[in-house]
Amino acid sequence: MRITCPYCGARDAQEFGYLGDANPQRPDGMDATEAAMHDYVHLRDNPAGRHRELWYHGAGCHAWLVVTRDTRTHAIEAVEVARKTKAGAAA
Amino acid sequence: MADATTAIWAPRSAWAGILHEGHIGLAGSTSITIAARDGLGIASLIAPAAGEAALAEAVKAAFGLDLPATPAIARAGHHAAVWAGPGQWLLLAETRSGFSDALQALSGVAAVAEQSSGRAALRLSGPRIRDALAKGCMLDLHPVAFPVGMAALTSIAHIGVHLWRAQDCPEGAVFEIMVARSFAGSFWSWLSASVAEFGCDIVASGASIGRG
Repeated sequence: MRITCPYCGARDAQEFGYLGDANPQRPDGMDATEAAMHDYVHLRDNPAGRHRELWYHGAGCHAWLVVTRDTRTHAIEAVEVARKTKAGAAA
Repeated sequence: MADATTAIWAPRSAWAGILHEGHIGLAGSTSITIAARDGLGIASLIAPAAGEAALAEAVKAAFGLDLPATPAIARAGHHAAVWAGPGQWLLLAETRSGFSDALQALSGVAAVAEQSSGRAALRLSGPRIRDALAKGCMLDLHPVAFPVGMAALTSIAHIGVHLWRAQDCPEGAVFEIMVARSFAGSFWSWLSASVAEFGCDIVASGASIGRG
């Protein structure tokens, strides 16, 4: 699998580290219920299909990326810079 | 006694004890030439959030360099700037003399960390250099895909490398490649094995940054 880093271009997946689902947002730990924190820390969907996920270009430019990938085919639909995504939409 | 003390603290090349002048691999053939790039002044520059324009301005004023916005190397006089990730660059100087002082010009506009002794650099050239690099480098280094002045961060033999293409020399393409100093020995073990079938000369350093 290749991931097209927005900075570096297409690179082999071995240059990247995988973190997981890009969608969970950390609740405010002081206010959140125990159940909400439990959800955030432990519970993940495991979709067969479209998945937004975080990848780290550790062997390249060290950017965090949000990759939209089909988990069945590894077809990549979009690669965005995580920093820009977080700043804008409530991903 | 004083001489002995001085000798202990003399600068030591990152390639000392690793790279030895001479010929390796296929006898009677020199398809690749390797030179240590010793004595460079190297500093990493990291711009603060939304501070890239101010840093670019300061670098232009102090060194006459335009910071590249894409993976590339820019050169001016005795200095060069190589893209090293979003908002990050490596500033290179031909010599270390006066380099620390020159960096003061950037102290307010970037996180500056001198790396002169922290990196090990080589200049690789010759008609078969791409064939040797292809054994470990996952990038397409064909002239169409990787023109003169382009730079990249990638890994070779599980070692993080920073490489860029300099002006061609009469014998072919020229690449400069930099690894963390502590990886020099491991990188050399890969590189020396990879160039051997083509025949390789190891020569004293001398060429200037990014040029032929």
